[in-house]
Amino acid sequence: MTPMKELYEAILTGNRDAAAELTRQALEGSVDPQSLIDGAMIPAMAEVGRRFEEEEYFVPELLLSARAMKTALELISPLLSETGAPSKGCVVMGTVQGDLHDIGKNLVSAMLEGAGFDVVDLGADVSPEKFVATVEENGASLVGLSVLLTVTMPSMTSTIEALEAAGLRDRVKILVGGAPLSAEHADAIGADAYADNATAAVRAAHELVGA
Amino acid sequence: MNGRTRILNLLEGRAVDRLPLMPITMMFAADQIGVPYGEYATDHRLLARGQIETSRRFDFDYVSAISDPCREAADLGAAIECYPDQPPAIVESEALLSDPRHLARLDCPDPTSGPRMADRIAAIALLRHEIGDEKLVEGWIEGPCAEAANLRGINTLMLDFVDEPDFVRDLCAFCVDLGLRFARAQVAAGADLIGIGDAAASLVGPAIYEEFVFPAERRLVDGIHAMGARTRLHICGRTRRLLPLLADLGVDILDLDWMVPIEEARAACGPEQVLLGNIDPVGVLRNAGPEDVRDGIRRCHAAAGRRYVVAAGCEIVRDTPLRNLREMVEYARGHGCDAEPTPSPPRAH
Repeated sequence: MTPMKELYEAILTGNRDAAAELTRQALEGSVDPQSLIDGAMIPAMAEVGRRFEEEEYFVPELLLSARAMKTALELISPLLSETGAPSKGCVVMGTVQGDLHDIGKNLVSAMLEGAGFDVVDLGADVSPEKFVATVEENGASLVGLSVLLTVTMPSMTSTIEALEAAGLRDRVKILVGGAPLSAEHADAIGADAYADNATAAVRAAHELVGA
Repeated sequence: MNGRTRILNLLEGRAVDRLPLMPITMMFAADQIGVPYGEYATDHRLLARGQIETSRRFDFDYVSAISDPCREAADLGAAIECYPDQPPAIVESEALLSDPRHLARLDCPDPTSGPRMADRIAAIALLRHEIGDEKLVEGWIEGPCAEAANLRGINTLMLDFVDEPDFVRDLCAFCVDLGLRFARAQVAAGADLIGIGDAAASLVGPAIYEEFVFPAERRLVDGIHAMGARTRLHICGRTRRLLPLLADLGVDILDLDWMVPIEEARAACGPEQVLLGNIDPVGVLRNAGPEDVRDGIRRCHAAAGRRYVVAAGCEIVRDTPLRNLREMVEYARGHGCDAEPTPSPPRAH
């Protein structure tokens, strides 16, 4: 098995230690860091997403793979910043104000990162003002809003309104998700896309930013 | 036939006059009596009033002490965020067992002494006193996976299944002991049936469920049955892949969320398992019209057959149109358990 394939397998099976060791070995062997991302990490996370969507993988497997991917990425990132790594764009993620549920949002953040996006994850219970400030600060091209409770769905609307009021709506796309939502509701509140799982969210993000 | 008899007869395989009706109401019930949910969830007198008035207004067959997933965790000392008009929520960033070694020194509390558990026990006693035998009284506990997630943090628990399997087994065992204590106190206060909410279980696949969650849920179900009470298992979320295992749990009522094909549940569980559910509470019951509600329940009934309880897949959300809820009620009123589901009339366009 080639080192690239081994790293792919380590991420796919969620083996953090193996992913770190294989990445170290590859970098010591002067492998191009970007090729590790393109050749092993992104394909591995894409396969994780496929298995998740097909109900072959579940949340633990997805989180373990994401952790292995992040461990490898942390070793690679310092080298990429020296060379100016290509990115598919910056995504600001968060669960809307009043809602502390974050696992769905975490899955989407991990999958977006695994797909090559820069992700600024604000966590849960995020105010509209915080979303606005973070989008401005990072020049984000995409905002991901998550919600679990029907009672906090209005916070999603107020976040979109705050982005409009701040004059940012024309330069960011808005992707929404969460158990009580639907494509119709997303459309009604002025979002650009709706996704009902993490893999669909990655597909939608690519379409929205043209990556 | 009153509601309590109707449900118990169905569970015992005896004749019933119509399909039982057991939708979950929480914020909807608080709104029915005009109190903020934060008060409803923390004052058993308001919860009991909300349940009784809602149940009588819509002819439900039961009342329930369900309110939020935080009662046990709160009394153990977990950090909880309270809101004026929505359910309390666990603060995961301050998880009680952020250090797994702390489990060894965590005492299983007496449910009658912790304020939030005691409040639910008081609700059960009040419901039983006020409603008598008119309707079934349902108690509620967190299932082992949900409670483990409450105490450890749901994100961390998902990794623990692989990183710390022995800790997860010990944590689940603790949660079962806690659940049984809480259930016993609720049965003593008058609960006929204990609902078990185990939402976090829907996040894991069959392998992890079988290794960690199933044995814990099974012990909980067996323990509640030994107390003489009935059981209802509600797992929010996608449990389709777990159905062959859920079939072996021995719960009296398997309560399915809306994304689970009820015909698959029937095939997995066999003809005698009582199934409950499962139209989409938001997409259909709240957002669609009465014809869609009737169509949805008719399809569930047709797939589930005679061992069936009418309800949505999860909580009746607070702004559900009353005419839609009444359509659900009328369906149950109009159908005996042995009756064939009524074909839908042609729609007017």
